[in-house]
Amino acid sequence: MSTFDSARLIAMFEAVATRIETEKDHLCALDGHIGDADHGIAMAQGFNAVRAAVTDLDPGAVAPSDVFNTAAKAFLNAVGASSGPLYATAYMRAGAALKGKEVATEDDMAQAFQAMAQGIEDRGKAVVGEKTMVDAWRPSADALAEAREGGASLAIALQAASTAAAKGAEATADMIAGKGRSSRLGERARGHVDPGAASAAIIIEVMAESLSGAGGPGAP
Amino acid sequence: MAKAVNGKGGTTQSIPLRYGDDPYVWACWLYYEDQLTQGEIAETMGISRATVNAYLAEARERGIVNITIDPERLSALTIAQELKRHFGLDDCLVIPSDGGAHPLIERLGTAGARVLNQTVRSADTIAVAWGRTVMAVAERARRGDLQDVSVIQATGGTTATFEYTPEACAACLSAALNARCVNLTAPALVSSAEVRDLLLQEPVVAGQLAALARANRLLFGISSLRPNSTIHTSGFFDSVATQLYLEKNAVGVIAGRFIDDHGRPVSGPLDERTIGITLDGFEGIETKIAVVGGIDKVAAILGALRGGYIDVLVTDAATGRGILKADGVAELDRKLAPQRGPEAGVVNVRSAVKKFVNKPVDVIEEMLDGIVHAHERYLRPIDGHRRALVAQRGPREGKVGLVIGGGSGHEPCFLGYVGKGMADAAAIGNIFSAPPPDPISQCAKAASGGKGVLFVYGNYTGDIMNFQMAADLAKAEGIEVRTVITTDDIASSPVEDREGRRGVAGNFFTFKIAGAACDRMWPLEACEAVTSKTNRRTYTVGVALEPCSLPQTRTHNFEIGPDEMEIGIGIHGEPGVARDRLRPADEVVDAVMDRIFSEMQAGSGDRVAVLVNSLGATPLMELYILYRRVRQRLEAKCIAVHASWTGHYCTSLDMAGASITVLHLDDQLAELLDHPCDTAFLSIK
Repeated sequence: MSTFDSARLIAMFEAVATRIETEKDHLCALDGHIGDADHGIAMAQGFNAVRAAVTDLDPGAVAPSDVFNTAAKAFLNAVGASSGPLYATAYMRAGAALKGKEVATEDDMAQAFQAMAQGIEDRGKAVVGEKTMVDAWRPSADALAEAREGGASLAIALQAASTAAAKGAEATADMIAGKGRSSRLGERARGHVDPGAASAAIIIEVMAESLSGAGGPGAP
Repeated sequence: MAKAVNGKGGTTQSIPLRYGDDPYVWACWLYYEDQLTQGEIAETMGISRATVNAYLAEARERGIVNITIDPERLSALTIAQELKRHFGLDDCLVIPSDGGAHPLIERLGTAGARVLNQTVRSADTIAVAWGRTVMAVAERARRGDLQDVSVIQATGGTTATFEYTPEACAACLSAALNARCVNLTAPALVSSAEVRDLLLQEPVVAGQLAALARANRLLFGISSLRPNSTIHTSGFFDSVATQLYLEKNAVGVIAGRFIDDHGRPVSGPLDERTIGITLDGFEGIETKIAVVGGIDKVAAILGALRGGYIDVLVTDAATGRGILKADGVAELDRKLAPQRGPEAGVVNVRSAVKKFVNKPVDVIEEMLDGIVHAHERYLRPIDGHRRALVAQRGPREGKVGLVIGGGSGHEPCFLGYVGKGMADAAAIGNIFSAPPPDPISQCAKAASGGKGVLFVYGNYTGDIMNFQMAADLAKAEGIEVRTVITTDDIASSPVEDREGRRGVAGNFFTFKIAGAACDRMWPLEACEAVTSKTNRRTYTVGVALEPCSLPQTRTHNFEIGPDEMEIGIGIHGEPGVARDRLRPADEVVDAVMDRIFSEMQAGSGDRVAVLVNSLGATPLMELYILYRRVRQRLEAKCIAVHASWTGHYCTSLDMAGASITVLHLDDQLAELLDHPCDTAFLSIK
């Protein structure tokens, strides 16, 4: 049974920031089809701010909930836009789920993951099928819950979550948008993967990798 | 060499046998081996220059030609890219290993000088630290073409006899840059805190330190705390004191200040006795250039990078690799391994839209810097935060505050409408991205006169979420907030879905009427109601001829064919809702006006206000041609134009295109439209 301290969560955010930076151009290109081609820039800006903020924390002196709350604030103030409030809400909810814990257990992390998905749905008021990041987050959270109920370790459950997120993002290509700026495009949005869902799948994949490992390089 | 016949009816020269039947190989041979120009190749092959260009580009894409980079240089470049990415640097220069042919210090000096030559601009103030490497840079730098550059010594002086003292470094660099030299005429290290405090009160020293605080560039080296480092051998610090810092896990010294492996300041007995730049002082400096190399310095450099003290790093390949490995960058070896296939080392040539930009990441901040100075008569940043702008003469006791805002890229929206009689404050986001809740709630606080605040902004998911969060923050401070979300773009959604439409250039009228109602001291409910009515009676349709491009990508964010236009374009360059063949101006206006007339229930004798707005690149000449036809169509229905505006009022970066907005007035709206206002882009007397 793994446990998760602040150092591991900081390492997780660093890993997400690194990966998003390499996917920046890809995400911009996706956005160019149905939006204004800046999704990669905004996400990279947001997670670089997160990286700067969380690596400033002293992992020995802050609780896991502080790491999430710091990430939320940094992301929100760097980005604004729609992804700002959505991810900020996700991380604040995760922070609330971990409140008062020095070290998070596998159960705690599973709950934090559910809280993130729920936070994004609550803030954006989108549901599955509207070609948004919810199409990656909702099936991902459901897959995680199902795996945990079946007795799977968090690492296995996160793997299932990651697979479901990728599948969910892929499925947005067949949808027309119900929310966000691309919703005005009608049929013209069909055939393109939603960039918000694509970045969500990447974030979930990196979270799964980072939290399944033996501990990140971020621990000093 | 056979001459080809060019021009109309010209024949393509048959391909010489040795090239097989492949014109790509022929073109490439002429270009790369025979070194002909593209024009000469065109003549030789009997094809157009554009075709030659296309052949050469495609030959690279198909791997017929591979451009390879010397492995040592490629490796240095890879390490530099990785350092830049991993530590979020502005830039990074890594000098390749030369097998020890020249001393490292000299090579770092040459590279550092190249970076400095490129970075320094007229009117810069450059703070300079000291040391062997800094001196090596100063000796090799050269820019004589700049004006009003100052070089200022970043630390106090010393009586030491070595050649790279703080005074010598500053003098050498100022000579190289033809700059004014400001020395810090106090010792770097004094005997006690009391002496330091006394010296700091001396007007001369205080003036020099004030000049140092204004520096926008910094050149410095990094010293390790190893026994043989400059810090020890120079006798600059006494060794007993240094030992105390080592015990507290200091790993390096930058500009006379000690840091640990995470870049955190390490305090000790020398701090109170040191005169010169402080670590906090680093923060306000725009470009901090560190020139440093040597494996023994890896820990110190890593500390400085983690602490955010470096914007531009100049180092050597071995040190760069050491830094990345020490910070756990695992994928470096894979990237450095020789790659097979045509993609290895291929230089991709791509065209980019031209822009007046320094660094793409700085566009918003630099624009805002320009705005607050250009329009200081009308607005100012709230508590120094330029993303929240408040009117100089707007908010007042008992008045409802009007707060507007949205993403950048639409200038003069939103800042141009901040001022007396219009918006009290505006929150500015990144390009085409809603501002975060913080600046919006700052605006609400600044605009509040105790009678509530009205938020008016366009109907976009991001804006709604951020403004709602800001409204919650304002409410928590006891400010009542009402919101009107603008939805004037009638092409963006059918009439049954009015609430789903986006807000575009019609904002101009909605802001104007809302500002007038607030300025007349109407209560919050009345301000909200009349603003809402204005929005309901405002009709906009936009047409794009060419796409726009973001400063960060400098590529078009969608494509419009040579004979096409996009109807119903939004102000974010989102593709429109329909594509049509390009038609004469009058037909375009007719298509737009037919659509507006189908919704606006205006009869003979009614009054309207009209806005013909450029989306960025379309000039006034074309806007007037459009307005002429708008007027004809309105007159034919006996609808009077009460007021009209033609120009750049709500743009979409450099998009070519225009939008037409018609506001269906009634007596109340006409009166409020005529109410005086004084802003940077709209003034009614």
